[in-house]
Amino acid sequence: MTLGLPLFISFLALALSVAVGYRRPRTWLALTVTGTVAGLVAAVYVLLSGDRWEWQSDFLLGGEALRLRLDGLSALFLLLVAVVGGAGAVYSHEYWSDEHNPASAPRGRVWWSSLLLSMGLVLTVANGLHFLIAWELFALCGYFLITLDRRRSGVRAAGWLYLVASHAGTMCLFAFFGLLAAHTGSWELGPLRERGELAPLFWLALIGFGLKAGFFPLHIWLPSAHANAPSHVSAIMSGVAIKMGVYGILRFSGWLPVPAAAGWVVVSLGAVSALLGIAFAFAQNDFKRLLAYCSVENIGIIMIGVGIALLAVSHDDAPWGRLALAGALLHVWNHGAFKSLLFFGAGSVLHATGTRELSRLGGLARNMPWTAGLFALGILAVAGLPPLNGFVSEWLIYLGLFDVATGKGALAWIAMPAAVMLAMAGAIALASFAKAGAMIFLGAPRTQPAARAHECGYWMRGPMLGLAAVCGIIGLAPVLFWPAISEAVACWRPVWGLGEPPAPLAMLGSAQVTLAIIILAAAVWLWRKSRDNGLRRGLTWDCAYAVPTARMQYTSASFAGIVAGWFRWLMLPERTVHRPHGYFPASAIRLERVPETVLERVLAPVGNLVMHASHTALRLQHGRLQFYILYVVAGLIGIGLLVLWGGAQ
Amino acid sequence: MNLILDLILRLAMWLLLAPLLPGIINKVKAWVAGRRGPPVLQLYYDLAKLWRKGVVMSTLASPGFIIGPAVGWVALLSAALLMPLGPAGSAVSFRGDVLLLIYLLALARFCTAWAAMETGSAFEGMGSAREVSYAVLTEAAIIAAVLSLIVHTSSVTLITMLAPSAGAGAALLAAGLFTVLLAENCRVPFDDPNTHLELTMIHEAMILDHSGPPLAAILHGASIKLLLFAVLLVQAVLPIGEMSPLAAAGVLAGGVLTVTVGVGLVESLLARLAFRRVPLLLTTAFLLCLFALLVAWKGGAK
Repeated sequence: MTLGLPLFISFLALALSVAVGYRRPRTWLALTVTGTVAGLVAAVYVLLSGDRWEWQSDFLLGGEALRLRLDGLSALFLLLVAVVGGAGAVYSHEYWSDEHNPASAPRGRVWWSSLLLSMGLVLTVANGLHFLIAWELFALCGYFLITLDRRRSGVRAAGWLYLVASHAGTMCLFAFFGLLAAHTGSWELGPLRERGELAPLFWLALIGFGLKAGFFPLHIWLPSAHANAPSHVSAIMSGVAIKMGVYGILRFSGWLPVPAAAGWVVVSLGAVSALLGIAFAFAQNDFKRLLAYCSVENIGIIMIGVGIALLAVSHDDAPWGRLALAGALLHVWNHGAFKSLLFFGAGSVLHATGTRELSRLGGLARNMPWTAGLFALGILAVAGLPPLNGFVSEWLIYLGLFDVATGKGALAWIAMPAAVMLAMAGAIALASFAKAGAMIFLGAPRTQPAARAHECGYWMRGPMLGLAAVCGIIGLAPVLFWPAISEAVACWRPVWGLGEPPAPLAMLGSAQVTLAIIILAAAVWLWRKSRDNGLRRGLTWDCAYAVPTARMQYTSASFAGIVAGWFRWLMLPERTVHRPHGYFPASAIRLERVPETVLERVLAPVGNLVMHASHTALRLQHGRLQFYILYVVAGLIGIGLLVLWGGAQ
Repeated sequence: MNLILDLILRLAMWLLLAPLLPGIINKVKAWVAGRRGPPVLQLYYDLAKLWRKGVVMSTLASPGFIIGPAVGWVALLSAALLMPLGPAGSAVSFRGDVLLLIYLLALARFCTAWAAMETGSAFEGMGSAREVSYAVLTEAAIIAAVLSLIVHTSSVTLITMLAPSAGAGAALLAAGLFTVLLAENCRVPFDDPNTHLELTMIHEAMILDHSGPPLAAILHGASIKLLLFAVLLVQAVLPIGEMSPLAAAGVLAGGVLTVTVGVGLVESLLARLAFRRVPLLLTTAFLLCLFALLVAWKGGAK
């Protein structure tokens, strides 16, 4: 089979790169890039030709024959793994080099390749047992990558939280696959749509995979893990790894029957994630945390599309389901591309200034024009603005929602609120990224390190340029990507089949191209006109104040103040205020921090309660033998009574 | 050939007529106050003058300071070209074009805010923060209004959505959209275009540092946006698509004029709201559009 070859090359190259990664960075890079390119070729081939690749081993692994399969749906995600995996490997060559991180860089390379390999396995295995093994490997690789810089306590705490959350999810998946195997009598995975009794298992999968995908309120681990990891790791965690959760939900909602309420729940979760995720993002002052929370929003957008598709399945395969699912799948790619771009840009800023605090940055556009320009492009894409890719996928999802609304059935009661929440999320996303971009790159540098920032090198710039190009191409020519998306849709639900690109999509594509051309022309024109008229430099107008300083600029917290105020009931910000007193106040402090509400206000108290109960129970275990004998006697009497009682009835 | 002619006429109409609206508003305000006021064509003179003037750029600003207004202007003009014009229909029309229109407005907003932040001025930061924050509520109101039209007409294309009247919920929709118009175009009671105190500005604060051709682009873009919202409001509420071409053109022009005079009257009779009250009024606009949606839901026989 022809497809086996690139996949085999990919596997071999990545396995070799795991082996050599520790000592030989250049060989590792060459092998990883080879592996990802080979994987990319295989994925593209599957998506364009519609072929499926299956392979079964002669040997047994854990008592089961190893079965691999690559179909449209897994190829769509494999493509994302390959693109971001390759780009991140190149990026890390400079960003996390041996020179700067002699201790962790070699480890990082090994874990990076292992992560790619394990994600590839998750996407291809077609056996429940092996899926769990691959999933666990994937989770562990993620843990070691997040904690690369383990000297910092924040990193260790974030890694620990990630590991715990990940295993809570895995526990649900153990139950899911175990029950599935118990019902079907085999670990083999495949389409079982007619087995209605399997439907309730969907809830287990939703929680298990949802913890990985990180939608609200299961996102607790996500912000700190993505903020504290090295930026290339954040990029792959945020752009790709959380998509594995989406893959899981899609895979098993496609193969297994789902309960009637599934679509309603998924759309609601998605809409809530989108709005609250981005509201929290807006309130952050740490730009990597802001990006991480924005991932919660984007997963929410994807889940809205998936939920609408689930609703369509239970409503006679309505055509809007296909639109929404296509939008969700395209958004998987789009979010992967622009979020990785943004995290690479964030890494470049972090590399240059050493801080993640928005209030310590500013004015970087002067010294880092490439990073600033590419980050700005990523911002336009993530805010869903035309003519870039984020808008196309959101447009498809909106169309799905609107079509549900025109149907005027009971379903419109979920579609209409979802559309309104999506619109609000879009507006807050625009605000958040206007804030992030402006605080980092515009105005005057607020601190010395920001003033001394330097542009990143070619190894870091290259991957950013590549991802920016992806954002541009998907935005300008969405029709080119339709066959691939439609193949994945057909794989999820064969009845929906392969469709021609909808005519409006082609129109939208040409409108976006026209828009892009006019924008470029107008920008050049206005620039030249201004230059020809005479361009002078002058001081910024600050109410005629003659010596404005960098400290006088608007801050990140004030920028977000209005919207953060609206969500105060949820965010419960903590404040420390020492007001100035007297005529010559010596000091005044005002600190504000937005806590991780779900983690600190819900889970932590519950955890404390459990710990308290355990401590109380611990008093029973004091080491005095006579009391232990008493326990045994009491226990025996209790059992005796139970038996007597049981016998009497 | 016809297509090109149509496009040119349409462009001319948006580009040339738009600056008339602020002039009319100012005339109405002057008339109510018993002043003579500036000429109706004042904005044209201003634009012509600004276009010839030099540019002073903040020492902190990067080229984004000038590219921002250019992109914003293009976005607003493109949004205008998507908008159907009564009997003339629209230049480009496809399913879901209404979303492109909404997001083009968002692009313009982003560009203005970005260009403002280029200068590192506290006032411009404040203005941008207010602009993007209040836009969250107006965005909700607009999408609710759009949903009500979608539900009412069972269509997702602007030209069919705007053709019939908004039905039983027309009054609610008109009130909601008019409030949105005031908020999005920075008019009283949300913002005062004539204020001289930076602390109380929204839109004006964002463009404090702009001058010359970029300022002209911003001002002209703002007037296109005002006309765009007026046309949207009139077409959404009145059954313009069901009239004869001549009547439709007349009603559209009359409607836009009425809306403009209405803005001027509101501006003369109301004071600017305190900033903490702004979200309340915007929420009211959202609720009005939401009720229009519910009415469309109940009443839709189509």
